[in-house]
Amino acid sequence: MLDEARLQQWNALIATLTKQELTWMHGYIAGKLSMDAPKSAPVAAPVATSHKVTIAYGTETGNAKKLASDLAGKAKKMGINAKLVGLDQYRFTDLAKEEYFFTVISTQGDGEPPVGAKKFYDHIHQNGFTIPKLKYSVLALGDTSYPQFCKTGEDVDLQFEKLGATRVVPLQKCDLDYEADANEWFMKAIHSLNAPAVAPASTSVAAKKPIGKKTYNGTIVTNINLNATGSNKQTHHIEIVAEGLEYECGNSIGIVPSNQPAVVAEILAVTGVDGTKVIDWKKETSSIADLLTNKINISYLQENAIKKYAAIIQQEIPLVRMDLLDLLKIYPVKDTAQFIEVLGILNPVPPRLYTIASSPMAHEGEVHITVAKDVFDVNGVEKTGLCSNFLSLQKTETQLNFFVQPNKRFKLVEPTKDIIMIGPGTGVAPFRSFVAERDATGATGRNWLFFGDQHFTTDFSYQTEWQNWYSTGVLTKINLAFSRDQEEKIYVQHRMLQQAEELYQWINNGAVVYLCGAKYPMGRDVEHTLLQIIQQQGNKSKEEAEQYFEIMKEEERFMEDVY
Amino acid sequence: MSEKQNLSVVEHIKHKSRGLRGTLVESLQDEITGAVREDDHALVKFHGMYEQDDRDLREERAEKKLDKLYSFMVRMRIPGGLMTAEQWVAAHNVAGQYTTGVIKITTRQTIQLHGILKRNIRPTLQGFSKVALDSIAACGDVNRNVACASHPHQSAIHAQVHAYADKISQLLLPKTRAFYEIWLDEEKLEEHTEVDPLYENRYLPRKFKIGIAIPPNNEVDVLTNDLGLIAIIENNELKGFNLAIGGGLSATHGNANTYPRLATVIGFTGSEERTLKAVYEVLTVQRDYGNRSDRKLARLKYTVDRMGVENFKKELEKRCGFELEAPKEVVFTARKDEYGWVEDYKGNWHYTLFVENGRVTDENGYLLKTALLQIAETGKTTFRFTSNQNVIISDIKPEDKTIIQALLNNFQIEERQALISAIRKNSIACVSMPTCPLALAEAQRYLPTLIDKIEPLLGKYNLQDDDIVIRMTGCPNGCGRSSASEIGLIGTSPGHYNLHIGGDREGLRLNRKYKDALDETAILNELDSLFSSYKKDRQPTETFGDFAARRQLV
Ligand code: SRM
Ligand SMILES: Cc1cc2nc3c(=O)[nH]c(=O)nc-3n(C[C@H](O)[C@H](O)[C@H](O)COP(=O)(O)OP(=O)(O)OC[C@H]3O[C@@H](n4cnc5c(N)ncnc54)[C@H](O)[C@@H]3O)c2cc1C
Ligand SMILES: Cc1cc2nc3c(=O)[nH]c(=O)nc-3n(C[C@H](O)[C@H](O)[C@H](O)COP(=O)(O)O)c2cc1C
Ligand code: SF4
Repeated sequence: MLDEARLQQWNALIATLTKQELTWMHGYIAGKLSMDAPKSAPVAAPVATSHKVTIAYGTETGNAKKLASDLAGKAKKMGINAKLVGLDQYRFTDLAKEEYFFTVISTQGDGEPPVGAKKFYDHIHQNGFTIPKLKYSVLALGDTSYPQFCKTGEDVDLQFEKLGATRVVPLQKCDLDYEADANEWFMKAIHSLNAPAVAPASTSVAAKKPIGKKTYNGTIVTNINLNATGSNKQTHHIEIVAEGLEYECGNSIGIVPSNQPAVVAEILAVTGVDGTKVIDWKKETSSIADLLTNKINISYLQENAIKKYAAIIQQEIPLVRMDLLDLLKIYPVKDTAQFIEVLGILNPVPPRLYTIASSPMAHEGEVHITVAKDVFDVNGVEKTGLCSNFLSLQKTETQLNFFVQPNKRFKLVEPTKDIIMIGPGTGVAPFRSFVAERDATGATGRNWLFFGDQHFTTDFSYQTEWQNWYSTGVLTKINLAFSRDQEEKIYVQHRMLQQAEELYQWINNGAVVYLCGAKYPMGRDVEHTLLQIIQQQGNKSKEEAEQYFEIMKEEERFMEDVY
Repeated sequence: MSEKQNLSVVEHIKHKSRGLRGTLVESLQDEITGAVREDDHALVKFHGMYEQDDRDLREERAEKKLDKLYSFMVRMRIPGGLMTAEQWVAAHNVAGQYTTGVIKITTRQTIQLHGILKRNIRPTLQGFSKVALDSIAACGDVNRNVACASHPHQSAIHAQVHAYADKISQLLLPKTRAFYEIWLDEEKLEEHTEVDPLYENRYLPRKFKIGIAIPPNNEVDVLTNDLGLIAIIENNELKGFNLAIGGGLSATHGNANTYPRLATVIGFTGSEERTLKAVYEVLTVQRDYGNRSDRKLARLKYTVDRMGVENFKKELEKRCGFELEAPKEVVFTARKDEYGWVEDYKGNWHYTLFVENGRVTDENGYLLKTALLQIAETGKTTFRFTSNQNVIISDIKPEDKTIIQALLNNFQIEERQALISAIRKNSIACVSMPTCPLALAEAQRYLPTLIDKIEPLLGKYNLQDDDIVIRMTGCPNGCGRSSASEIGLIGTSPGHYNLHIGGDREGLRLNRKYKDALDETAILNELDSLFSSYKKDRQPTETFGDFAARRQLV
């Protein structure tokens, strides 16, 4: 089967292998075969190794990061799904969930940890928890010309042991010429995974239950504004932990926001109504204050609500949407009874949807969302969107109810397929989910992202994560459009045009195109551009191109989640 | 010859860079990062730039999943620190458009602009190019900006000596056209790399600095250079130069193999031809004998000490084809700028302006940057930077003096200058935080307020008019030449400095460490007691530095 030259290489390689290595290769090849298997394989993402491996780095000048990325890249080539993570962004609570945890960390200052790894370092030096399940090893970077050679690495190594974790490979200290030592350490670390079996593709998803609209009671564990100081925007990355979570990439979650307490208080003051008074409202029985805060939509009332309001107070009111408070100020109600009558015609607060930005495999037990704070101007007054503002203000540790909104028309395709993701602004959310999922499951398809926003320095959402995925090869290509970094406006569709030839090649080769984000004008502009590219690159007439695009949609080779 | 095995990483990068081109063009196209590629990091220096990031923002940005806020600092090549008014105006405008806006005068008579985003590098350099300014070889393992005594009045021979700065700079420029191709859109030559007999394809093992002094003033700190030229003037005639080799100030905390060193005078050359030849060959000896495996030990000072001064000199003379003459007698009596108005031998006027830490900006009601712009816009001056990070508004014709004076008045420049204490006028701080990646402690953001607190101490002992030279650097690299000062403060960690004393006023003796890692209170306490004993026990006319050395305090 093999030609002479390759047969020789094969035999030469086999001759050098240990039994362990042979077993490992056996598993690897089996896994590879099952991944490349044609369509019949279930939509599940195959898992190349059953072990969960994390390579974490703590760096000041970038050596540890570079090294860790290289090692993670190498691991991937070997079929091991090593997750690469910077300790500056590591969530401590994840430690308990890790299986194999390999740390590459440098020493700085006078034997101190790198600034970015300081919090992690302090965390593991606190008492009061153990991580008995963790298997670990530490690679310490340092410089023998410093008296405290590799001190931080030593500390971390020792501390993990104290926390009950199992050291699988001894601490490796490296001088400035760390490459050879690092590689040796890494090979030992790989061996310690003890010939990982490659799980057949079928086992991973078969057990998944259908997803219903169950309400989850989650806890917010992270809420950060992704935009840097100086940005015009405020985009919140929110991580929520919940018991028994089930969702798929491409799904959204629905959240019912509370109204602002200050607005509720003002409504009560304006009307002179006693907020503690308990009333029946729809199927609920509660105090007026509670209903106004948590149940009743009081913002930007629909025209028909205004109509009904006018009927109750028997006045002419122009049918212009406005907030209840403004309405009450201009057209006051007579008394409490009339106010209660008004409440009766109002609707419940509608849930808002947010596309999930996390992956079930990479972020087990959590759901992440990317929320742009909606700020707009109403007659010269700056107002904020109800839910996005509500979410932007949530502190960590607060409880949040949500449900999972499945989306059949927006889902991640099988792991071997190439995907093109177009997601400017918060449209990037599902693509973080897709790429994290593909990273965690070792999917082999290529991944190409188009992202855009206003400014490169302040608005590049998830920049460091994209960089990590790019450096490990999970993200194949990325093109960026920052609209306000130059005189002329540049948007994702302009970048697509610049890449037209390659884009069409991908599409023609079966790549699936995803689009997510604001429907107007972005979504429509991007669709137009796609049509244009298909027409020009494919030498087609307008009609042929439209037809081609229709087929893409039918065959789910174009999927969108625009809002 | 140089250790062929075990070359340092940077050596490989230089070697395979195809005339310093590397992958810079590709780096500029990388959209995902504001940085250049790993290897280009070293190469971009040869083009006069450093990749930096705002260290104040690191933590915030990491949390926001944003990469570091990378930007570039451009250092101009301005031999001898002389700029035309037109060039100043251009620098002002470019600074306003693409940088932090602060024009930073350096300790080697040039200017730096910080905060230039990757995509703005080309427009910045193109803006400079329009007024014949470039940043070639302002950094990197080549000969850097040649420093030269800057005050034109110093002697009629100043212009003659000053011309050497430019000649030497030209002589030692790398031959590659990469700068023009990459940044200025010059058409690319065929796929061949220019032949460079001096730098070959390996350049020098490390940076190389040349300074030229005109005695009796040593404001360029000539002996802190790899190669110092000391002008020898007899009967109002330039006779030639004493050559001094192996100066350099950097040390690494905790690495005993590194040390600051003043240059050793090895001889004298008379004619221009011989002087330039000797200068050139000092570089070739360093090129061939310098340490290329450990960058910490690669400066000329280590080569000289490893070979021995005599052997170095022999090798140099062999390459020159002539012997150096015995060095001439030289006396240095000062190391300071001559503030205020000075008339030169031709009757032209020069106004030397103290610029605290070299930061030209408009702040706290002091519109220095606007003032200098308006002065430049008259077109009636040149600008000369000094090694003390100051600027001389220079070459003003007698008939134009009133115009400049009026502008100085408008901005209350002279009034403000008059209020500045002697110690402040003799102070230098390096850049340090937030841009310098090597900084361990603050420097230019901190020294001004520290001096606020030192001034009353001096007042207490009636020493307020004493020209004590005080210098602070954020790390032991010594960019503010902190080891060559009477009071040196060298950062060890945030808020902490080693206190060095015992250097002389003229820059002919280094200071030494007196106390380790002091915080502000400790610094002030130590200085208080030092000033007190200096006041009590000094000999008449004895400087603070000499006193400290004589009393063997260090
Ligand atoms: C701007 C300047 C200080 C100032 O406040 O004026 C400066 C600033 C820096 N110096 Fe310097 N050096 C500056 C004069 C000096 C001097 C003083 C002198 O030359 O008169 C020295 C000591 C003399 C010497 O060279 O020994 C000096 C010794 C260093 C060193 C140590 C070199 C060594 O031998 O180990 C470094 C670090 C290095 O090269 O690895 C360094 C590196 C740096 C860098 C580029 C940091 C870096 O490598 O990334 C600093 C940039 C900070 C920033 O954000 O702007 N700088 N540097 C001076 C620019 C001079 C110029 O126009 O070329
Ligand atoms: C499938 C799907 C996925 C989505 N995914 C995301 C996502 O990943 N990230 C994300 O950020 N968003 C996403 N959205 C949008 C999100 O659901 C919300 O619509 C968005 O956050 C705005 O909600 P809000 O409550 O903040 O604003 P609202 O209060 O609902 O206001 C919305 C708009 O109504 C108008 N308005 C409101 N009040 C007034 C008033 N008083 N006067 C005049 N005009 C008014 C304004 O134009 C305002 O912009 C998604 C939507 C869908 C449908
Ligand atoms: C300011 C500074 C202090 C350092 N201190 C130490 C130290 O105390 N011990 C040590 O082993 N290495 C020390 N080092 C060396 C670094 O650990 C080494 O350069 C390492 O490769 C850096 O890795 P990083 O780029 O991932 O941060 C220090 C380096 C710097 C720049
Ligand atoms: S002395 Fe140190 S801190 Fe100051 S500019 Fe130079 S390298 Fe940076």
